Amino acid sequence: MNQTLSPKTIKWFSLGWMVAVYAFLYMPIVTLVIFSFNDSPLVTVWSHASFRWYKALMQDSDLISAVWLSLKIAFFSAIISVLFGTFTAFALNRYKRFNGRTLLSSMASMPLVMPDVIVGLSLLLMLVSLQHWLGYPDRGLFTILLGHALLGTAYATVVVTSRLREMDNKLDEAAMDLGCQPFQVFRLVTLPLLIPALVSAFLLTFTLSFDDVVLSSFLSGPGYSTMPMMIFSRARLGLNPTINAVATVTIIVVTIAVIASSFYTSYLERKRKREVAQAYSDSNN
Amino acid sequence: MAVVSKANIVREDLLRVEGVTKIFDGAVKAVDNVSLTVASGEIFALLGGSGCGKSTLLRMLAGFETPTKGRIFLAGEDITDLPPYKRPINMMFQSYALFPHLNVWDNIAFGLRRDGLPNDQIAEQVEKMLGLVQLAKYAKRKPHQLSGGQQQRVALARSLAKRPKLLLLDEPLAALDKKLRETTQLELANIIEEVGVTCVLVTHDQEEAMTMASRIAVMSEGHFLQVGAPDEVYEMPNSRQVADFIGNVNIFDGVIDEDKADHVTVRSADCLHYVGHGISGHSGMNVGVALRPEKILLTKDQPASAYNWCEGEVTEIVYFGAHTTYHLKLASGKVIKAQALNNTRDLSYGLTWGDTAYAYWNERAMVVLTQ
Repeated sequence: MNQTLSPKTIKWFSLGWMVAVYAFLYMPIVTLVIFSFNDSPLVTVWSHASFRWYKALMQDSDLISAVWLSLKIAFFSAIISVLFGTFTAFALNRYKRFNGRTLLSSMASMPLVMPDVIVGLSLLLMLVSLQHWLGYPDRGLFTILLGHALLGTAYATVVVTSRLREMDNKLDEAAMDLGCQPFQVFRLVTLPLLIPALVSAFLLTFTLSFDDVVLSSFLSGPGYSTMPMMIFSRARLGLNPTINAVATVTIIVVTIAVIASSFYTSYLERKRKREVAQAYSDSNN
Repeated sequence: MAVVSKANIVREDLLRVEGVTKIFDGAVKAVDNVSLTVASGEIFALLGGSGCGKSTLLRMLAGFETPTKGRIFLAGEDITDLPPYKRPINMMFQSYALFPHLNVWDNIAFGLRRDGLPNDQIAEQVEKMLGLVQLAKYAKRKPHQLSGGQQQRVALARSLAKRPKLLLLDEPLAALDKKLRETTQLELANIIEEVGVTCVLVTHDQEEAMTMASRIAVMSEGHFLQVGAPDEVYEMPNSRQVADFIGNVNIFDGVIDEDKADHVTVRSADCLHYVGHGISGHSGMNVGVALRPEKILLTKDQPASAYNWCEGEVTEIVYFGAHTTYHLKLASGKVIKAQALNNTRDLSYGLTWGDTAYAYWNERAMVVLTQ
C-alpha cells in the first residue's frame, strides 16, 4: 500500500496550516479594527461603516486623559527602568566580586517570575502603611510609576546584561590603556555600544507599562485611571465601540513603529554585510 | 633569523621588574617571584604555553592587575600602583580591541584626545601613524570594514600613537592566518624598529618569539626557565623543559663516563657521546644529551668512528616539502627524529620504511643537560 503524500498535498497542507495559525492569531485584531468602523452601538452586529466612534472618542475626555496618563507613565517608567536596569546590569557584569552579588543577581530578576498580583499587593500594603506613618505618598501617578519602574527595571536588567555579556571586556581595558578614567570608559566606549540595547530595553519596558492592568489597579488612586484600566472597567459594564476605536488607533501606531524599526534594522544589516564584503575584496587586491 | 638588529650599544634599563608575584584568589600562583630588566629599545618576548603566567605578567605591566608582591619600575619610576590610564605604556591586544563604533582615524586619535592635545597636533600625529602603517586611504572606515591584517595595523597604530615609553604586544599575530602571519611578522618588527619603541611581547609561538625578539624569556608555571637571545635559548637550552619547548629535540639519557676540561663522554643505552666542550659536572652523573633533529645526518653505511652514531630502523618518513623527518627506532626501543634538508629533488638518503640506517652527528651538535 503506497501511503506517501504527494508534494502537492504537503504544500497545500502546510499553506493551509499557516493560514489557520495566522487567522487564529490575527483574526480577533482584524475583527476589532473592522468593528471600530461599525456604525451600530452593538459591538457584534454590523450595520454600516462610519467614523462615529472615532468622533465619540475625540469627545470622550475621560478616555483621552486615560491614554495620556498611560503614555506619561509608560514614558517615565521606561526611562527610570532603563536607568536603574543599566546600573544593575553594570554592577552584575563589570564588578565580578562584591559581597551580596549572588543575592542582587537573583533579586534583580525576581519580579520577572513573581506574579504581578503578588507584586502589586505587596506594594500596596507597603504604600498604605507608609502613608499611614508618613502621610506620603498618596496613591496616584507617582505610585503607579513606582510599580511599573520596579517591574521594568527587572526586564531592562536582563536586556542590558545580555548585551554587556557579549561585549568584549577588552574594549574597556583598551580605553583605559589609552588614558580613559573609569567614567570616561563608560561615556566614550561602553555607552555608545550599549545604545541599541538601551533602545530595545526602553521599548520593552514602555510597552510593559503601557498595557499593564494588574499593578496599575493596585497602585492607582481616585482620578488616576490608565487606558487599560479604563478599557477593563468599561468592558465590565458592557463593551462600547469607542473602545474599538481607541484600540485601533493604538494598533496602528504600534504597527507603524514595528514595521519602521524592522525595516531600519534590516537596512543596517544589509549595509554592514555589503561593507564587510567590500573589505574582503579590497584586501585581496 | 632575528630581524631586529642586535647592535650591542650599551643601553640603559627602561623596565625593571623586581620579585613580582601574583596570587589569584589566595591560592593560584600565576606569577612566582619574577625579576627582569628590559633595556631601552629592546624587544623582549615572554614565551610559554597557556597558563604559564606570561599574560598575567603582561597585564601587570599594563596595570590591569596589581602584583601581590614585588615592584615594577619604568625609567626609574615606581609604577606598581599607577592605574593603567596613568602609565606611559600602551598595549596592542590579541583581539585588537578596536572600538567598533569609531572609524580608523578616531580609533587612532582616541588616546591623543584623552591627553587634551590641540586638534592640529592630534591630526598631525594620526596622519603620521596612518602613514607608518600604510592605511591613509582607509582612515574613514569602521573596523568591520577592514580585513584582519588591516585591523592589526590599526591596532598597532593606535597603541603607538601616544608615543609610549613601553609597548606591550599580546599575541600580536595569533588572530591572523599562517601566510599573512609571516609577512606581518616582518612588517611589525620593522615598524617597531623604525619607531624605536621598547617592546614586551607575549606569545606561545616560538617562531614568532625568535623572529621578532632580541631576547626571550621562556616561562613555565609562573617563573622564568631561561632568559637569553633566541640563538642562545635554542642552541644552549639550560634544561630539558626549555630544550623540549623550543623546537624539536632528541634527548638521550646517560651517565658521564669521562669528564675532561675540553670534552666529556656520556654513555647512553644506544651510543657513546663525545661532547666537544667541557661542562660543570662530574663522572658518574646522570645527564641528558640533547640533540636537535636537523643536526643529525643519516647514512646506510656504518660509520667508522667510535663515538656519536647509532643504528636504527626507519619507522616513519614525514615529508614536509622543504625537509623530511625520519623516525629511527634504536635498539633500546627509543625513537629519535632526524631531519634532512631536501636539497635535491629526490629524497636525500634513498631510505625507505624498514631500512636500517645509521644516524651520526658532529661533536659540537650536542648540549649536555644537567637539570
